[in-house]
Amino acid sequence: MNDITLTINGKQVKGKAGDTVLEICQANSIDVPTLCHLEGLSDVGACRMCVVEIEKERRPVPACTYPARDGLVVKTNTERLERYRRQILELIFTEHNHFCMFCEQSGDCELQKLAYRYQMDHVRYPYTFPSLSVDSLSDYLVIDHNRCILCGRCLRACSEVAASHTLSFSQRGWKTLVSADLEQSVGESSCLLCGACVQACPTGAIFNKINLYKGKTDECQQIKTVCPACGVGCELNALVKDNNLVRIEAPSLVDPRGALCRIGRFGLLEPTPPRITSPLLRGGQGELEECSLDSAVEVIGMRLAAAKGNFAGMISTRIPNEILSLFNKFISEVVGSDSIDTLDGESYRIISEGIKQFQNNGKGLGIECPIESILEADCIIVVGADPESANPIVSTLVRRAVSQRKTKLIVIDPSRDVFPLWTDLWLKPRVGSEGVLLSGLTKVLIDKGLVVPEKTKAELVQSVGGYEIGEVVRTTGIEKERLELVAEIYGRAECGVIIYGEELLKRHDASLVTTILNLANITGNQVGDKLRVISLKPCANSRGAWELGLAKGIKQDKPKALYLLLADELVGDELLSWLRRIDFLVVQASYHSPATSIADVVLPSPIWAEREGKYVSMDGRVLESKQVLQLKDGLPQDREILIEISKKLGRELS
Amino acid sequence: MAKVKVATAWLDACAGCHMSFLDLDEALIGLANAIEITASPITDIKEFSPVDVGIIEGAVGNAHDEEVAKNLRANCKILMVWGDCACFGGIVSMRNLFTTEEVLQRYYSTESTAKGSNIPSSEDLPPLTEVKPINQVVKVDCYVPGCPPSSKAIHYALTELLEGRIPILPSEIMRFD
Repeated sequence: MNDITLTINGKQVKGKAGDTVLEICQANSIDVPTLCHLEGLSDVGACRMCVVEIEKERRPVPACTYPARDGLVVKTNTERLERYRRQILELIFTEHNHFCMFCEQSGDCELQKLAYRYQMDHVRYPYTFPSLSVDSLSDYLVIDHNRCILCGRCLRACSEVAASHTLSFSQRGWKTLVSADLEQSVGESSCLLCGACVQACPTGAIFNKINLYKGKTDECQQIKTVCPACGVGCELNALVKDNNLVRIEAPSLVDPRGALCRIGRFGLLEPTPPRITSPLLRGGQGELEECSLDSAVEVIGMRLAAAKGNFAGMISTRIPNEILSLFNKFISEVVGSDSIDTLDGESYRIISEGIKQFQNNGKGLGIECPIESILEADCIIVVGADPESANPIVSTLVRRAVSQRKTKLIVIDPSRDVFPLWTDLWLKPRVGSEGVLLSGLTKVLIDKGLVVPEKTKAELVQSVGGYEIGEVVRTTGIEKERLELVAEIYGRAECGVIIYGEELLKRHDASLVTTILNLANITGNQVGDKLRVISLKPCANSRGAWELGLAKGIKQDKPKALYLLLADELVGDELLSWLRRIDFLVVQASYHSPATSIADVVLPSPIWAEREGKYVSMDGRVLESKQVLQLKDGLPQDREILIEISKKLGRELS
Repeated sequence: MAKVKVATAWLDACAGCHMSFLDLDEALIGLANAIEITASPITDIKEFSPVDVGIIEGAVGNAHDEEVAKNLRANCKILMVWGDCACFGGIVSMRNLFTTEEVLQRYYSTESTAKGSNIPSSEDLPPLTEVKPINQVVKVDCYVPGCPPSSKAIHYALTELLEGRIPILPSEIMRFD
């Protein structure tokens, strides 16, 4: 881009062609007040606060939408402009209800700050007092139309950041309202509760419902850390006051991984089960009783020695690498067992076996592409995965691709369309016939010549040779035309991304993974040494744990004793019934749960916000998390407990 | 030097602004040397005589409020208003979202704890009108917003007036809550 020179307030400043006047002002620290502008969103010039005078323009123009040109002469702070700005504020104040004393956002409100700045101590116009509704039916957010200034930041965040397109303006003129879908309550609309609108709202029109009145931004310490909710690894900004988590915000609305979802922004603030605040030991009466760490460690030491290696370890993958490594050492060196697994280890074994079978690939998970590839895709196939529930930011990326690039979205799922409003084609194979479908698709691609010949090995051609299309149609229940259409779309795509996840892995069939990798390979969907394939991984540090070798698997059908480091994760019913069969169960956990209630020894554990360490995102980024909250009541970190037990067994753990 | 004569009035509001004035604490002693309060809800003197500065807390919510505002305006050289109700309408103006009947019905049928409470009616009672900030009824010379304004803001405004300047609260002192 060429440099251009402008004169702003009598000073020469430089900028790039294509910048707006506002961008150049901001880059040169020239203060121009804004209200409807927000970094990361497009500009619309709705509020007129940023009006500037430009030589030869007949009237003031909004700086946020005015394209800068070489030689422009701009004034940003004339007496007239300041008068206009105050007048605009007064008009905004008369339009809806902007009385601060009963507003949750007072103190955090951009409109209020501007009114102070312009010393707006009275309003010269009559107030309109419209009777507007408050929508509080959503679980996480409230829309109070009375506080709305119609700047449109929420709707731009909803379409540009969340790619949800739920919010828009309804009605016209005086009656204009921010509305979810067709004037539905937001709780009953297509809203995905990501909260981008809450963060974008400059006033108290849309606010966080679950942490009302907990604290203002100015009163909080802000700590950037990693979201523990899933494997995407978003950065989040934790606002903390008096060792309490007040709010979670996205550090940037620009970075797709920083946008946050309903789990990261709201879910982490939801009420939790009661905390484990002391070690517990099953007493003579069969009840769990509080005990000292020493006596808990004593019992564990004794039972460990007695179990003589018939002792297994299991750990949550919400835990950072440092503790994972320590636990690995603890089980292998201190306990002397090679029986170790993660709660999600089975998924790993299927994925890694599938990758291994793919051309004897030794690269492991490194063969998968980063999730940002989704944004470049012109075809996305989602097979046996539900990104909106497992990794919502992945689903945001999919929606962004579809809405911004007209990407074709194909869902393969026997039971439901996981992107009901977005899918171009939903293939509904009979349960268990996904493998036939994928192999059939491979064959159609080969038959149609939609593959890269040098990548299509003879063995592969031979192995899918048996998938005669009539047979595939009969087995899967999918019409030939639809199968061919999918082949056409994916085969001709410049950039086709396949996303698979839990539903597919439930088939316990590694060959499904291999088939998917083959599909990407033969169609040339490769960037560098990576294939455009993404497997959804359940936990924040699943990949970290898997690559550290913790997902070896429990060797025994029923170990004599099990040490489960659960931290703040909860276990499902299937695992719970397996745990019930174990003679001696140690559960180290943050919360009381069914798993702790059946344990013989319960030990406390910090929650995500109380620990720090490295996480590895599902696509291999190493992320550093920070401790956000201090542990209360002298509770130990996981590390201290593992070291204590090791000492009791006469071993040193470091 | 003769003391500056001041009269204050309390219209449709909670009295919080006058409380904030009393919160000046020891600064009141200094002010007492410079001003004389001739009428005020604090002294319970409600008849206005001509003063230098008139001060109003609260919005205009009925015919009586309007009369008081006009009366004080007529009796003062400079009219200052205190608080969000007087400056903007504030919390009392929330009733403008409903009809007077709805507001009274709601109050006397659900909120009032008085026994056998019926909507009172008497010729002596001024009917409720739409709530307005003071500047929509009489000319106002200076404004001290806040709910209530901090005693610091009130002190700043009074001191400025005593110095002969019309006060406009600086951004750092101005608050709406």
